[in-house]
Amino acid sequence: MITSIAHTTIYVLNQDDALDFYKNKLGFEVGDDMKVEGDFRWLTVHPKSNPQLQLVLAEPKEGPMFSKESAEKIRSLIEEGAFGAGVFETDDCQKTYQELEAKGVEFIQPPTEQLYGIEAMALDNSGNWFSLVERVNTK
Amino acid sequence: MATNHKFKRLNASRDFIADNYHAPLSLSDIAKRSYMSNYHFLRVFKDTYGETPNEFLIRLRVEQAKNMLITENFTVSEVCEKVGYTSLGSFSSLFLRQVGMAPTLYRRKLWALSSEAFRFPAQAIPACYAYHFLRKLTK
Repeated sequence: MITSIAHTTIYVLNQDDALDFYKNKLGFEVGDDMKVEGDFRWLTVHPKSNPQLQLVLAEPKEGPMFSKESAEKIRSLIEEGAFGAGVFETDDCQKTYQELEAKGVEFIQPPTEQLYGIEAMALDNSGNWFSLVERVNTK
Repeated sequence: MATNHKFKRLNASRDFIADNYHAPLSLSDIAKRSYMSNYHFLRVFKDTYGETPNEFLIRLRVEQAKNMLITENFTVSEVCEKVGYTSLGSFSSLFLRQVGMAPTLYRRKLWALSSEAFRFPAQAIPACYAYHFLRKLTK
């Protein structure tokens, strides 16, 4: 039986900039930040209240996985906003929206009532979109 | 779940621990950052983050120690001191409990696996990522 998800990948344009965004704007914590075998940087962040879920912030670079052309294509798709980072939960969408907006986070949709709760949508500093959701049954 | 206001106060304490993990920390010093009594703070912290402040502190110290053991040439005693422990015996027992092996053995094992000095081996990250980014099949 699979019990939970431990790691998921978000492709970013620059790991230092992404770390600054996820740590200093979204308030996440660093899980791992280490050099593995040569220059590969293994960088993960997680919400403070959920260290069990690590978001791997990875740069698409030419290497074993990607050719130069593929890496460039992925970078261009990230910039176009073709990828989503996922859904982050909050216990107060309006308040979190105001706090993040004040920190300079770019929102593409303000808090809006949906069937499942109140949801805002934003972009990280690479161009990945994410939702901020306050579930209706969390209060 | 803590309210947004309470969560902010708790985060102040958690950030205080993260910024000062290498120093001697008392519960009252930490709880003070959240404007709570020691008992109340302990309870709310555990409810919110799923671990006690002390468990969080130990986790940070052990993670930092693991990093130093691999990427730096410090002795185990120096690592022990740098992550905030004064007794080498206590540090070694704690490390053994948390990681499953003594600090020296951990260092020896990972250095032996690594193809490059002062770098984590591919085995230190989940195998699917090691394969994805490094084309290494780990055993």
